[in-house]
Amino acid sequence: MSTAVLRVSDLTVSVGRGERRFVAVRDVGFEVPAGGSLGVVGESGSGKSLTLRALMALLPRGVRAERGVVELAGEPLPFTGPAARRARRGRLAMVFQDPLSGLDPVYTVGDQLAEVPRRVLGASAGASRRRAVELLRMVGMPDPERRAHAFPHQLSGGMRQRVLIAMALASEPKVLLCDEPTTALDVTVQAQVLELLDDLRRRLGVAVVFVSHDLAVVRQVADELAVMYTGRVVETGPANEVLSNPAHPYTLGLLEAVVDLDGTAHAPRAIPGALPDLAHVPSGCPFHPRCRFASEDCALSDPGFRYLGDGGAERGTACKYPERVMAG
Amino acid sequence: MSLEVGPSLYEVAATPGRPPERDRPALPLLVAEGLCVSFPAGRGQRLTAVEDVSLSVSAGETVGIVGESGSGKSTVARCLAGLLRPDSGTVSLRGELLGARRTREQHRAVQLVFQDPYSSLNPRLSVRSVLGELLVFHGLAKGEAVEPRCRELMALVGLPADALDGYPSSFSGGQRQRIAIARALAVQPQVVVADEPISSLDVSVQAAILALFADLRDRLGIGMVLISHNLAVVRNICDRAAVMYLGRVVEVGEREEIFTDPRHPYTRALLAAAPRLRPGPDGVAVRLRGEPPSPTARPTGCEFHPRCPRAEPLCTVERPELLPAPPGSSRLAACHFRDEKP
Repeated sequence: MSTAVLRVSDLTVSVGRGERRFVAVRDVGFEVPAGGSLGVVGESGSGKSLTLRALMALLPRGVRAERGVVELAGEPLPFTGPAARRARRGRLAMVFQDPLSGLDPVYTVGDQLAEVPRRVLGASAGASRRRAVELLRMVGMPDPERRAHAFPHQLSGGMRQRVLIAMALASEPKVLLCDEPTTALDVTVQAQVLELLDDLRRRLGVAVVFVSHDLAVVRQVADELAVMYTGRVVETGPANEVLSNPAHPYTLGLLEAVVDLDGTAHAPRAIPGALPDLAHVPSGCPFHPRCRFASEDCALSDPGFRYLGDGGAERGTACKYPERVMAG
Repeated sequence: MSLEVGPSLYEVAATPGRPPERDRPALPLLVAEGLCVSFPAGRGQRLTAVEDVSLSVSAGETVGIVGESGSGKSTVARCLAGLLRPDSGTVSLRGELLGARRTREQHRAVQLVFQDPYSSLNPRLSVRSVLGELLVFHGLAKGEAVEPRCRELMALVGLPADALDGYPSSFSGGQRQRIAIARALAVQPQVVVADEPISSLDVSVQAAILALFADLRDRLGIGMVLISHNLAVVRNICDRAAVMYLGRVVEVGEREEIFTDPRHPYTRALLAAAPRLRPGPDGVAVRLRGEPPSPTARPTGCEFHPRCPRAEPLCTVERPELLPAPPGSSRLAACHFRDEKP
C-alpha cells in the first residue's frame, strides 16, 4: 500500500454513440499522494478536462467512462448514479475555470457557502453562517464578514475564484480538482490564486490536481506532472525533471513552442502539423506525424507506456526512443 | 499617399533580401495623441476608460500595449482602427488627421485582427467569398484578377490555396487566425492592430502565428500595434512597449528598457507575477495586493497607489506625470520615484 490518496488506472472515456463514437480519454493512469500536487498539461482535445470530469462523475450526456478504476483513499468509486455522487461528497471537490458560472447570481456568497456545512455536514444555520465567514477568511478574502453579504456580481474575478475555492473546501475534501482555475484571471491576480492553492495544500494537507494548458503556470503549483496528448498520458514525472529534460517529443515540442518571458535564447518554435481529430488519431504513436525523432516503426505499433530505469524518481514516457528526445 | 492599386505590397513581399538588421524609419506612420475615451455608466456617471494616451508606430515597427483587463488597451485599439470615436485626442496617418468619419481609403490603411477567430469570421462565407468581396469592394481586383489575388493572400499567411473553398468551421483555431490575418492584409493596410491575437490559440500554434506577424511586418514593412496581457508575447516581437493601468500609460519605452530596467512599480509587479518556465532571475517576487480598482471609482493621486509597494503620502494626492526616466531618456514613466532603483 502506498500513500496515494487518489489513484487512477486505465481510465477510458468515450464520446458519442453508435458509429460516431470515439475514445477521448484512453487508459489514463496516475497517483496523487496525500497533500501532493499533480499538474495535468495538454492542449485542447487532449482529454485533460474530460479526465477531471470523469473523476468527479460529472460527464456530460453522451460521454461515458468505459472502463478504469478511480480509488480514493484505497476505495474504488462508482462512475454513475446517486452512489457516485454520495461516494465523492465531502471527499472530492472541483474548481472550474469560469468563476461566474459556478455561482448562483440571486444568492449572496455567504448563503451559498453556508449551504455546504448545513446540508452536507449537518451543521446548524448559525454554525454554517460562521463557517462560511471562516472559509472566506481562509481563502484570503479581505473583510470576510462584509463580503459574505455580497452577491457574486459585486465581486471581482479574483474574489469570485476565491469564493469557489472556499466552496470546494467547505466539505473538507481530501482532493481538490482544479480545471484551469486561473485562465480567466489577470496575471497579478493569477499569481495570488496560485499562491493561495499552494498555501492551502500545505496548511490543510489537501491534495491538488491542477489541469492547465500553460506549462509555466503548472510549474508553479505541481510537484508531479502528467502531459496529455490525444487523450493519452504521454509523459509523467517530477515537474522540474520533466520540464528540464523531457522524455517525450511532445513535451519537448510544447516547451520549445512556449513564448517564454526569459526565452530570449531561442525564438519559440511551433510544433509542425496540427492536433489530430480525435475520431482519426494516427496509427502507432499518435504523435509520430509531428515528431522529428520518429522512425518508421513509430507509425506501426503503439509505443505503450513505460517507466525509465535507474529507480528513485519515477519518470514514465509513451515514446519508444526517449533517449533521442533526452539527448535533444 | 500610396494607397493606389499600383505596385502592391505583395510585389514588395516577393522581393527577398530585407536586411537582417531592421533599421527603423524615423517617420512615424500612425500617431495617436491625447486620446480620452469615456463611456456612460448609468445614473449620469461616466466611466473613464482611456485617459490621455499618446502612441506612435513607424513602418516596420511593432509597438506592444500590455495591461490587465480594464486597463483600456482594447479601447485604444478600437480608436486607432476608427471603430470608436475618442472624446478628445487625435489619430493621424502619415501626418494626415483622421477625422470623425474615415474615408474608405483611411479605413483600409488601418486594419484590426481580433482575439477570437471563432467569432470574428462569418461562418456562412467561404474564405474565397470573404477575401473576394473585400478585394472587389475596395476596387483592388475584379473579375479574373480576384482569384490569383486570393491565392497570393493564402500563400502569404501560409495556407494552401485549396483552403479558399473552406468555411471557417472546417479550420482549426490557428488556421482561422491565419484567415483573419489574410482578411486584414487583403486591403493592403499600412498598419495592423492586433488585439490579443494568440490568446485563444493552443500553445503549440501560438509561436507560429507570432512568427507570421513578425515575418509580415518585416517583409511588407507594415507598422504593427500588438495588444496583449502576456508580457512574454510583447517581449518576443515588439520593438517598443507601453504598459497601461486603469486607462493611462504608466510606462513606455524600448523593449529591453522596459523588461530589464522597469521604472514603474506596476511594470515591476507585472514582470514578477508572470509565470515562468524557469525560476525568476532574482527570486524576489513582489506580490501585488488586491485587484485593479473599478474605473468608476478611480483612486485619487496616482491610480496605482492603493496597490503599490512604494507608495508614500504624496502618491495619494499628486498624480505623477509621464516623464523621461532617467532624465533625457526616450523612455517615460509615470511615477514620482521613477529615478529610483528597486
